[in-house]
Amino acid sequence: MNDMRTLERAVEQTENKISARDVQVWYGDKHAIKDVNVDILDKTVTAFIGPSGCGKSTFLRCLNRMNDTIDISRVEGKIMLDGEDIYDRRVDPVQLRARVGMVFQKPNPFPKSIFDNVAYGPRIHGLARNRAELDEIVERSLRGAALWNEVKDRLQDPGTGLSGGQQQRLCIARAVATQPEVLLMDEPCSALDPIATGQVEELIDQLRAEFSVVIVTHSMQQAARVSQKTAFFHLGNLVEYGSTDDIFTNPRDPRTESYISGRIG
Amino acid sequence: MSDATFSGGQKASLLVADPHTRKRNAAESRFRGYGLAAIIVSMVMLVVLLFTILTGGLGAFRQTYLEIPVTLDAAQLDKSGTRDPEAIKKVLTLTYGKILQQALDKAIADKGIQVADLSDKDRAGLISKEASAQLRNRVLADPELIGQTVETRVLVNGRVDGYYKGRVSMESAARDGNTSPAQLQLADALKAQGMLATTWNWSFLTMPDSSDQRPESAGVGIAILGSLYMMLVVLVLSVPIGVAASIYLEEFAPKNRWTDIIEVNISNLAAVPSIVFGILGLAAFINFAGLPQSAPIVGGLVLTLMTLPTIIIATRAALKAVPPSIRDAALGVGASRMQSVFHHVLPLALPGILTGTIIGLAQALGETAPLLLIGMVAFVKNFPAAPPDGLFDPASALPVQVFNWTQRADPAFMERASGAIIVLLVFLLCMNLLAIFLRRKFERRW
Amino acid sequence: MPVSWTLLIVLALALAGYLATRARAVAQTGGDTRKLHSRPSYHGWNAALLTALPALFLIAIWRFVQPAANTTLVAVAGLALAALGLALALGRTGPAFRARNAVETMVKGLLILCSSIAILTTAGIVFSMLFETGNFFQQYPWQDFFFGTTWSPKFGGGSQLGILPLVWGTMYISLIALAVSVPIGLFAAIYMSEYASPRLRSIAKPAIEVLAGIPTIVYGLFALITVGPLLRDYFAQPLGLGASGSSVMTAGLVMGIMLIPFVSSLSDDIINAVPQSLRDGALGLGSTHSETIKKVVLPAALPGIVGAILLAASRAIGETMIVVMGAGASAQMSVNPFEAMTTITVKIVSQLTGDTDFAAPETLVAFALGLTLFVVTLILNIIALYVVRKYREQYE
Repeated sequence: MNDMRTLERAVEQTENKISARDVQVWYGDKHAIKDVNVDILDKTVTAFIGPSGCGKSTFLRCLNRMNDTIDISRVEGKIMLDGEDIYDRRVDPVQLRARVGMVFQKPNPFPKSIFDNVAYGPRIHGLARNRAELDEIVERSLRGAALWNEVKDRLQDPGTGLSGGQQQRLCIARAVATQPEVLLMDEPCSALDPIATGQVEELIDQLRAEFSVVIVTHSMQQAARVSQKTAFFHLGNLVEYGSTDDIFTNPRDPRTESYISGRIG
Repeated sequence: MSDATFSGGQKASLLVADPHTRKRNAAESRFRGYGLAAIIVSMVMLVVLLFTILTGGLGAFRQTYLEIPVTLDAAQLDKSGTRDPEAIKKVLTLTYGKILQQALDKAIADKGIQVADLSDKDRAGLISKEASAQLRNRVLADPELIGQTVETRVLVNGRVDGYYKGRVSMESAARDGNTSPAQLQLADALKAQGMLATTWNWSFLTMPDSSDQRPESAGVGIAILGSLYMMLVVLVLSVPIGVAASIYLEEFAPKNRWTDIIEVNISNLAAVPSIVFGILGLAAFINFAGLPQSAPIVGGLVLTLMTLPTIIIATRAALKAVPPSIRDAALGVGASRMQSVFHHVLPLALPGILTGTIIGLAQALGETAPLLLIGMVAFVKNFPAAPPDGLFDPASALPVQVFNWTQRADPAFMERASGAIIVLLVFLLCMNLLAIFLRRKFERRW
Repeated sequence: MPVSWTLLIVLALALAGYLATRARAVAQTGGDTRKLHSRPSYHGWNAALLTALPALFLIAIWRFVQPAANTTLVAVAGLALAALGLALALGRTGPAFRARNAVETMVKGLLILCSSIAILTTAGIVFSMLFETGNFFQQYPWQDFFFGTTWSPKFGGGSQLGILPLVWGTMYISLIALAVSVPIGLFAAIYMSEYASPRLRSIAKPAIEVLAGIPTIVYGLFALITVGPLLRDYFAQPLGLGASGSSVMTAGLVMGIMLIPFVSSLSDDIINAVPQSLRDGALGLGSTHSETIKKVVLPAALPGIVGAILLAASRAIGETMIVVMGAGASAQMSVNPFEAMTTITVKIVSQLTGDTDFAAPETLVAFALGLTLFVVTLILNIIALYVVRKYREQYE
């Protein structure tokens, strides 16, 4: 448990994207995250698993400072993105979130057209110089989210009119369009049916080529299917972190084993 | 850090805000500023509003009086010498005016007060025209006073009163037909002798309205009583009807067209301009049903119809807040639906209903426009009788009294109007505090 | 007053009925009340309601429909009905009689009646105004009323009663009021729900609610003694735009202040109804807080806010005291906001107060004005309530 540096599998090129050191989070008086140390690799899918209320979502939201929007939350410790502390006073969370995008549990397309949903990020961050560039970003993002073929003829239709799985892929396209380096996903499939879940999981696997993806999931099967690295959280502690294969086949901590085998959860 | 141009520049440092972000953050601050400014503007408006009303109206609670010994000459007031009330009643107010005048002249002479250019009119005008009527009423109430010399508090003219409240100055007095600098000097001299003073004025709360020439004696007594009567009618009618209607709509009504129409109707009635209710009152209660004009009963009925939607909406919210499990529990032990509502739901919803009722009453208390149309602006000098008969007597109401006074020419009435507003606001404040207190005390979280 | 005596007797009969029937129900079972279908007090209530309700209704309706009716006749009829009800209830009491069901049916009937009063009120409003408006249009052509550009009532005939100058004044003042209240109210609501610290909120929210609780007569007085003279002395006269304290601007500004809390509390509700997930979505993409509000929250809340503005407009059009005291009484169509103009509500008040002759068109025109006002505000309200309702359903 103490040695977080695990053997680096030669699956992918590996480079630390985010490193967290001694992270503590309080919600009011509640100590929600305790002493978490973790290194998240680039071009890798990292899964956070654990029973509900274990702090995995909370920790995820620390990584792009979405916790700032909750008044009572307080974060201590260091979280470095490419070697820079994201909780440094000089850091503008807005700029940070442009580089660390997020996809939420429930699909939340804006009540606007499909095009405007995807174009939202590029517009606010000024990523496109003209309409042609914007069109291109939108197309690239929708293709990247494996949605282009389904919506290319109705880009001006409202995004809220799509099916649940399409909505979630739209939200992923929206996040991708901002050209982030890290993509955080908070249980992205929990509101979807199995077919839509399969589509999104396939997409996550493709996204690995360009981004570092961190996914919170309550489904161990999903973690096993999509991730290369897995972190197991329990009661606010990071119990075990390692390659997905090791965690699932050869857990070192008894708590991990109990969870994997279905005894706690 | 090296890549200054932001075109998806992946490696720009987080620690340095790029120009685009700086611009966006400036917009953020501006936006926040607008929001804060809006709140500050609203709060400043509230303060200015209350401040101007308070400064303008507090004067109504102070009044200038002349304190002089008055000899109630039996030869003038009771020629027969029998102290027979009927005989004394025959003596007109005019005679009492003369007696007061003599008393003032004597006081001036006794103290040796000399004022240049003091005309008879100035001396006569110092005393309010209302003072003689007040003296007459005092004598009628106690005929034994005749023949005695009694210390009397005499109301002075509204302009002199205004002089001590800063409304009238020597310059304005010189241009004013109703007073003169000499009269004000006389008042100053009397004040120096301790005979004239501006003191707390309870009678503002008890006296009836007065005619255009006598702002100094105008009070809100009848208006308070009239408002009180109307609130009584509203309370007695709107609470049972409103609560009954809410119980039906919330607990029993089937979901059909009829209840839909009622629902839309109630929310629309809540937004109908109040003056329309005035027209309804005029047409239905006065012209059709033949109820008297200016009567609190008509005002009360109109305000009841206006208040009902408010009470119904509040009561329904209170009923809705009672969890269904309570109803289920009652039904589960074999109570009828009516029993479950009256024994369990209604008592639990009571605090919410009370709060809504008080807020509805407070709204009704401040309502003016519909009352204008049912004749409550009329000049009323006599107090209405006790209810229930008094409900049919002419009366005024606080907000209407305010409007009435703003239509008078003498600026002294503006002070009275602001004073009446203060009385009204105090009533409203008390009601709202009571509502807040009830809400706090009985607040329940399920 | 024989009527109040009659009422007292009816109530006394009802009380007697309650006691007698209750005792009878108990007696019929020989003291073992378990044999009764309903508790004894329900038998009592059944008698009391049967005694009082029909009699009271008869008296009330008779008195209202025919105010000049012979009071003795009414009293006798009422008492007879009460006695009849009492006898009926006494006779029906017995162990098998379902008194509770009977009482509950009557109570439910009462509840339904009370809830119909809202309909009756609306019907009363419409009919009272329709009737007199009909009389008015028999004496004065409707084309001249709706399209006339001159308003000059003359008691003695030859009046010109065109509504257009009043409509102009009403619209002008409402527009100014909305121009003041919508931005301030909306921004206040945004700041309150999105930015304000709990401490500021706990001060500002009640303060704005206090503004909402102040009666309009207070605002009217404020317009008359403070805002009017201020605008006249510091704006209108120096700019050479007029010398009148009462003006469109005075009434509009003060009405705007009055509407701030109305707009802000409605918008506050509506903004809070926008789901947090949309805000998270925008923030997660790196929007600033204001970008989230401007580009996501407000567009999502737009229908609701439009509804709120319509409701505020309906308020502004129907507001009376502020315009009576702040806008003046001269019916004219001018673009100068510092001139006195007048509104529909002001003219309703002036035509219906003082000496009124309900046969003269100069008085009856007030009903036509009232009906016009009612119809316009009703349409605005219905649209607004519909829009707001649809909006809420969208996020439920």
